[in-house]
Amino acid sequence: MTHPRVDAVAQEARDAIASARSSAELEQVRVTYLGRQGALTQLLRGLGALPAAERPAVGAAANEAKRELEALLESRLAAALEGERRVRRESERPDLTLPGRRPPRGALHPLTRVHDEIVAIFAGLGFSVAEGPEIETDYHNFEALNIPRDHPARDMQDTLYLSESTLLRTHTSPVQIRAMLARKPPVRIIVPGRVFRRDVADTSHSPMFHQVEGLAVDRAITMGDLKGTLELFAREMFGPGSRIRFRPSFFPFTEPSAEVDVLCFVCRGGGCRLCKQSGWLEILGSGMVHPRVLTNVGYDPEEVTGWAFGMGIERIAMLKYGIDDLRLFFDNDLRFLRQFA
Amino acid sequence: MKIPYRWIGEFVELRLGAAAAADRLVNAGLEVASVTPLAPAGLAGVVVGEIEAIERELGESHGHRLLLCRVSTGRERFSVISGAPNTTVGTRAAFAPPGATLPGGRRIAAAKIRGVESQGMLCSERELGLGDEHEAGLLVLDGDARPGQDLVAHLGLDDHVLEIEITPNRPDCLSVVGVARELAALTGSRLRVPAPALRESGAPARTLARVRIEAPDLCHRFTARVVSGVRVGPSPAWLGARLRAVGLRPISNVVDVTNYVLWERGHPLHAFDYDTLAERTIVVRRAGKGERFTTLDGQERVLDDAMLVIADPGRAVGLAGVMGGANTEVSAGTTRVLLESAYFDPVSIRRTSRALGLRTDAAYRFERGADVEALVGASARAAGLIAELAGGTLARGMVDVYPRRRKPVRVRLRMSRVKRVLGVAPPAAKARAILAGLGLPTRAKGAALDVEIPSFRRDLAMEDDLVEEIVRVWGYDKLRSTLPASAVDVVTHPPALHQAQVVRRALAGAGLAEAVTHAFGDPGRAALLRAAGAPEPLGLLNPLAQDASVLRSHPLEGLLGAVSVNLRRQQPDVALFEICTTYERAAGETGAAEPRWAAIALSGGRTAHAWHTPDAPADVYDAKGLAEHVLAALGVAVTPGGAGRLGGFEPDCHGTLVTAAGAVAAEFGEVAAAVREAFGLDAPVFGAAVALDIAAAAPAPALAYQALPRFPAVQRDLAFVLGAAPALTAAEIEAALAREAGPLLRALTLFDVFRFPDGRRSLAWRLVFQAEDRTLTDDEVNAIQARLTGRITGTFPVTPRSA
Repeated sequence: MTHPRVDAVAQEARDAIASARSSAELEQVRVTYLGRQGALTQLLRGLGALPAAERPAVGAAANEAKRELEALLESRLAAALEGERRVRRESERPDLTLPGRRPPRGALHPLTRVHDEIVAIFAGLGFSVAEGPEIETDYHNFEALNIPRDHPARDMQDTLYLSESTLLRTHTSPVQIRAMLARKPPVRIIVPGRVFRRDVADTSHSPMFHQVEGLAVDRAITMGDLKGTLELFAREMFGPGSRIRFRPSFFPFTEPSAEVDVLCFVCRGGGCRLCKQSGWLEILGSGMVHPRVLTNVGYDPEEVTGWAFGMGIERIAMLKYGIDDLRLFFDNDLRFLRQFA
Repeated sequence: MKIPYRWIGEFVELRLGAAAAADRLVNAGLEVASVTPLAPAGLAGVVVGEIEAIERELGESHGHRLLLCRVSTGRERFSVISGAPNTTVGTRAAFAPPGATLPGGRRIAAAKIRGVESQGMLCSERELGLGDEHEAGLLVLDGDARPGQDLVAHLGLDDHVLEIEITPNRPDCLSVVGVARELAALTGSRLRVPAPALRESGAPARTLARVRIEAPDLCHRFTARVVSGVRVGPSPAWLGARLRAVGLRPISNVVDVTNYVLWERGHPLHAFDYDTLAERTIVVRRAGKGERFTTLDGQERVLDDAMLVIADPGRAVGLAGVMGGANTEVSAGTTRVLLESAYFDPVSIRRTSRALGLRTDAAYRFERGADVEALVGASARAAGLIAELAGGTLARGMVDVYPRRRKPVRVRLRMSRVKRVLGVAPPAAKARAILAGLGLPTRAKGAALDVEIPSFRRDLAMEDDLVEEIVRVWGYDKLRSTLPASAVDVVTHPPALHQAQVVRRALAGAGLAEAVTHAFGDPGRAALLRAAGAPEPLGLLNPLAQDASVLRSHPLEGLLGAVSVNLRRQQPDVALFEICTTYERAAGETGAAEPRWAAIALSGGRTAHAWHTPDAPADVYDAKGLAEHVLAALGVAVTPGGAGRLGGFEPDCHGTLVTAAGAVAAEFGEVAAAVREAFGLDAPVFGAAVALDIAAAAPAPALAYQALPRFPAVQRDLAFVLGAAPALTAAEIEAALAREAGPLLRALTLFDVFRFPDGRRSLAWRLVFQAEDRTLTDDEVNAIQARLTGRITGTFPVTPRSA
């Protein structure tokens, strides 16, 4: 259904749509022909002025042209928009090789990492953490642990004193005393903490370092239990192939006493620089709690036995991470700390 | 302690090489730090040579005559040029023939000197690496040196030295005989300590000397022997070589013998010049208070009445068990010697030695406990050696005053106890054999053993001591690995441990690195960090250094040092935290309290230098925000508080956060310029300290679900302009807004701060309103907004700022 009056306008509009090069031009075409003042709109609006006989034909033709043009515009506009979107995205295409925006990454101190690992291993074996003061009495740090005043065993731990009777604890062992005085057996604790010695700092000494003490006291605790527990610990800490050995030693608060070595995990016992050719790495001191210590806390050595061990967290961390200078832990150089992020 | 291995062999059959023996000792608890060859490294092929003839003189060199000698090594003859002043016919000396090597790798070859060939070299002590002597000339050997014999063998240097670290409980091993006893027990050999065959003559010792012990509590036994007619002179080469091998310097035959016996038997001895002792009488007494006494080393010492001296009736002649006196020292002219062998109370010796700062080999042994019985044998051994090496006659017997006789010690050992402690036990017969090998006789007594403790094992006093003896010889490898059989309690860790973990995770998660710093520091720095009126930090009595003499009194003290380290090391962007302790005086048995802190220090850029984020320096709001972050992680609600208590911050940039109960849970601020200067920090540093004990005491709300809102929220922004006067704070306006906004307020956020050039500030808050039972209308919220604006402008000197 066509009408010459309509056809001319419709054809003009079709041509304009065909030659429009962008969504904006298409929009302009829509306004020009279909807008409020558009040619086709005017035509429709002018129907009333036509003779009544012409009206239906022109009206029908104009309405059909309008539908046709609208559909045509719609599809051309969609295509143009899509083309333009493509062009725009292409021009704004992100360089995905640029570094991402990372949240800042902090780091836990390597001593914290090792501390947490040790605590977790022993928690799994039923050991609760106990803590005690760093400023200690001479009694708890020494006398109760069978290290009397004026005894040469005091030379084993050069001590920083605050007064005649108070000092910076030289080991975490005084917490043994506090823990046993506070409760009845069975006792199963580990005691992490800072300890202090009057040692000049060098690659293997520090006036402050960290220990973890372990203590188990009950009716039937044996040195075999100590060995089995520490073997388990070594395997958890240093890997399933780890082996340990006991060597007799002396600590005033244990009897018998043992140094514990772990098989060198670099050379597996063959001898290397890390283990100074011995094949073994010393990791801790241990032994059966001295009967005098048990007596000092009101336990009966005929009723209960116990064992204790103490290890340096720095020592374990140095072995585990291959750190060769103790001072690195306390320098807090960010290039060191960030290696443990 | 150094011990030449072959010396041990004088008392026990050596079935193992030195290294294997060292291994056995280590596995029995004697720490052998090293096993080193006694001969200087590189010395090889040097032999004993005899100068048979001096054939002619070749002129002078450097003031020495050069002599062409004929040197015999028994089978061969060499033409050798020597410039040594002591080159004489008949001398047996160290000779390096061509092919020999000297320490340092120097290889000897025939060489021409002044046109004459020298087939090798006669050597000085220094050239051989055996000592410092060079000017005196050749190392002259004893007449019994056989020409051609290897020099290293002749000097007894074909040996190894064991460096043994003896734990304080084993003074019995501080000697060659002691180690030999241990090795005998470990290898199943027998210990042989021959009693010296003494040729005693002349008057009995007791007619030549009297001994009076006036302090029997400090001197349990004192013996004296007298040797007359001695000739003091140098020791023979073998004795000198042994002493040098263990690190002692030979002095004279008499003195060297006492040192030799000290090393061999472990008992300290002292030789007096008998003729210098008034009335030939020894008095063992306490020193007078303030008594002055000059020890052998020439130092005058001021004594006190807790110290024990050896004296004659007129004056002190020795500091008992520590060092002899200069006034009675054996000298070149000495002809009669009084030999002291005594036992002193360990505690008294230790106190004296420490009080005077005089650590000697003698004191070292006495303070660990000497053998009150073996001192007799040591005395006899020394007397015999003095008579042998210095000539003279030994008086008959000895004076032996023994007021505190040692009581026999017996310890009962149950094999059931061995099993109870170790989990395993050797058969009783094996246990007895082990104890017997260690010199501990046993008798079966019912199911137990009755063990006799000899005088040299002062460390064995109770049953478990013997359990250790058995297991350390039997072998720690015999222990069976088991796990404790007892019931396991529920594992409970202290709240502080959990709290520290939360804080660490929060701060490491926020990008900070954890530091661990020393707990002591410099008093000057501490003073700068101390707030006015705050107590002095706790000090150490015996610090290692002045800059490590006071305990940490400010939570940032350690961290600021760490910041400084990083700034010096080209790490300008620092974000560190530490869980630390400060130390302060308090009531209680330790006299101290140890509050815990989370300390935070920031310097340099807030974020990493990167393409996507403009660089911005960290500021005080970063420090504050991290403190708030920590407290939020701990579930502690805080509000801005008043003045802080910590020093070390700029007064105009120091804030606090307080708990609902009003306790200061955190302080933060900019580190004061004076503090930065003391720590060598030339960039601004911002710090925060969260008081972990305060935080722990604040009630953390239990987690509970709140129903989600069902009706939409309405949002309004309110902005006010504040005058330039600084008195009015954001917190005051915010508190008023919160108070006045009414029950519909859900959130209040300060979102914009703007400062005009004239100093006035604009602050803008976003308020969110919401009702639980309806959708709020604009009119409703507009009314609230109008009321709020009115209230704020009516209360504070501010004007509303139109959007």
